[in-house]
Amino acid sequence: MKRRQLLLGAVSLMASTALITGCGSTPAATPTPTATEDPSGTITFWSSMAGMDKVAAAFNASQSKIKVNFETIPNGGAGGYAKLSTAITAGNGPDVATIEYPQLPQFVSNGQLQPLDGFINKADTVDKLSDETKALVQFGDQTYALPYDAAPMIMWYRKDMLDKAGVSTPKTWQEFEEAGKKLKAVAPEAHLASFNPNEAALTAALSWQAGAKWFGTEGDSWKVGVNDEATKKVATYWQKLIDQKIVKVQQSFSDEWSADLASGAVVGVLGANWSATGIQKRTEASGQKGQWIAAEVPNWGTPADAFYGGSSFNITKSSKNPAAAAKFIEFLATSKDAITARGNTGSAFLAFPGLTPVAQKAFDASYFGNDIYSVFDKAYASITPGWQWGPNWDITNTALKDAYGKLTSGGKVLEAVDTAQGATVAGLKQNGLSVKE
Amino acid sequence: MVTQAPTKPSIAGQPKIRTQRKARAMSGTGGRTAALFLTPFFTIFALAMVAPVIYAIVLSFFAQQKSGLGFGEAKTSFVGLENYLQVLQSESFVGGIGRLALYCLLYIPCMVGGALAFALLMDAAVARARKLFQLLVFLPHAVPGVIAALIWAYLYTPGVSPIVSALETGGISLNFLDNQMILPSIVNIAVWEWTGYNVIVLFTALQAVPREILEAARVDGAGEIRAAISIKLPLILPALSVIMLFTVIGTLQLFTEPSIISKATASVTSTWVPNMWAYDAAFNRHNLNQAAAASIIIALMAAVLSWAVTRFSSRNKA
Repeated sequence: MKRRQLLLGAVSLMASTALITGCGSTPAATPTPTATEDPSGTITFWSSMAGMDKVAAAFNASQSKIKVNFETIPNGGAGGYAKLSTAITAGNGPDVATIEYPQLPQFVSNGQLQPLDGFINKADTVDKLSDETKALVQFGDQTYALPYDAAPMIMWYRKDMLDKAGVSTPKTWQEFEEAGKKLKAVAPEAHLASFNPNEAALTAALSWQAGAKWFGTEGDSWKVGVNDEATKKVATYWQKLIDQKIVKVQQSFSDEWSADLASGAVVGVLGANWSATGIQKRTEASGQKGQWIAAEVPNWGTPADAFYGGSSFNITKSSKNPAAAAKFIEFLATSKDAITARGNTGSAFLAFPGLTPVAQKAFDASYFGNDIYSVFDKAYASITPGWQWGPNWDITNTALKDAYGKLTSGGKVLEAVDTAQGATVAGLKQNGLSVKE
Repeated sequence: MVTQAPTKPSIAGQPKIRTQRKARAMSGTGGRTAALFLTPFFTIFALAMVAPVIYAIVLSFFAQQKSGLGFGEAKTSFVGLENYLQVLQSESFVGGIGRLALYCLLYIPCMVGGALAFALLMDAAVARARKLFQLLVFLPHAVPGVIAALIWAYLYTPGVSPIVSALETGGISLNFLDNQMILPSIVNIAVWEWTGYNVIVLFTALQAVPREILEAARVDGAGEIRAAISIKLPLILPALSVIMLFTVIGTLQLFTEPSIISKATASVTSTWVPNMWAYDAAFNRHNLNQAAAASIIIALMAAVLSWAVTRFSSRNKA
């Protein structure tokens, strides 16, 4: 223990000398007010995102002071967060981590991340973001992450099946239900979309779109509304779709889901901008090229959308070189070179202004039947403001997923959100947090 | 989490002679040599087994408490048995134990009964076929648990599985992954995996049954079935009780199969069995203290059950 403290002290001493010399030798080389002007050293970067190895390599090639070692870790669903959290607690986590927005507050709340303030150049990064994305990475007065993608929820359809059913792309949820009925009439075995019991974040996004606020703060207390009025409306509506077999209850990314997309038992995907590659991979061999189109998610009357997924980059508590980590994060989140280096890995839609056109150029969208990026743009413009994630998403996530397990044997969506509300409140209280329902 | 995986048991009857001989040889040479040879084992045992257990016990008496919005530092405080109470009061933990009991009720008769039947058949069969069957029956156990679960998940998933579609063409619509079928489906995986292993244990015990007793029975007019029930079965009871012991402990450790299957269906919740509950507490809810308490409770259950099984079987023997 002592030895580590000594080492830490030495490191911070060195860092501060570097800081002083840094400030002295390069007066106003850049107009930025960052604490450390010229960090150097070796840092590690963990991510589950495809193509990030190439981005790290591009960063290493672009300068000689900082060397980034990249390591692929499993994604959140496969235990990536458990690995990250345990490693940080044990003191051997990476310098830079990739965390999705729902999980971000709990890493902050567990004291596993370092605030970026003082390390990053705020004027060139955070200040240029939209308010909706800023709200996802700032807690209290501090910024804990730079956002990578801003993932608007998107509805994907098989155009040929919509045509066969004689319907146009549904604009509202009511039209969506009617389209589902018409589809059933021409193809009794087909479903217009799936309901994914393993994706609690999707239920959150649907509720967010309807104006729900699952988490908020009131003074020094959390306000939890996992079963608020807007969510109940959403839950009742989806129950109706499930009962009429317009949507099929199945795990997303499962073998069953893949098989159903390929066979045409499911002809739509409620996803996000990042769903494109997954759809292409699963349906390409079945000759569905050109049939899939992106569309704005149906709404409740006025155009509205929500974020579904999206990742941010952070400096963990175990980083001994946060200044170098901050430089790399700035590159990851705001540099066009980073986007270009990642290549044709997916249809990314990025939070930092000016980057999405670069991503669009890198992505080969010829598989799809319409201009998907113009749909993303429209969806992004209608994100409902004011959403906040709670201090421990995993509690809500698990509770909702588990309650959805009963959907195949008579359970109801509405009951599930009630259960999740109860579990969230109880779980947060057990951790000592102050909660109001 | 704390208990060990079953190792190959020794055959009943033999150890007695060996210990006698060893005791005679040991006296006089002194314990120094023994200590030298035992040190490596005990060092690793202390580091990898005893120390973590003690650490878990210590952890289980503390709790990390946050306050307000939870963005400040968490305070660690001694809470006595509070974590244990919370675990035992948790509906999902108790539900997991209930599920495990149901699992045992299905699994133990199927697996032990099946293993016994196979072993007796092999013992009675001709020598050439015996080797082949031994291999075939043992083969599933050579497949690692994770792989087995993945294979079965594929075989259970509707729309992908050849079994499900074959049943469907036969007019039987069965969803192996729904809420009612999921338990038998997981029992099936375990039976497939472990029967072969236990057949080998029982078969080895059967080989040790003195042939003269069997011959005497045959002379008295007992057929194969009569000999199996009245002679072989009572004589391999010690091996059977060893199997029961390992099976019960192994059941408490159920984790791999359900957690793999949970990726394919929502029917398996994240706290489906006690071990998954502990995993969820540690890595999803970030409550290491509660996870430690849950693990200790699981270990205690294993200890009590092992004691009960050995007690029961030794009384049976007498």
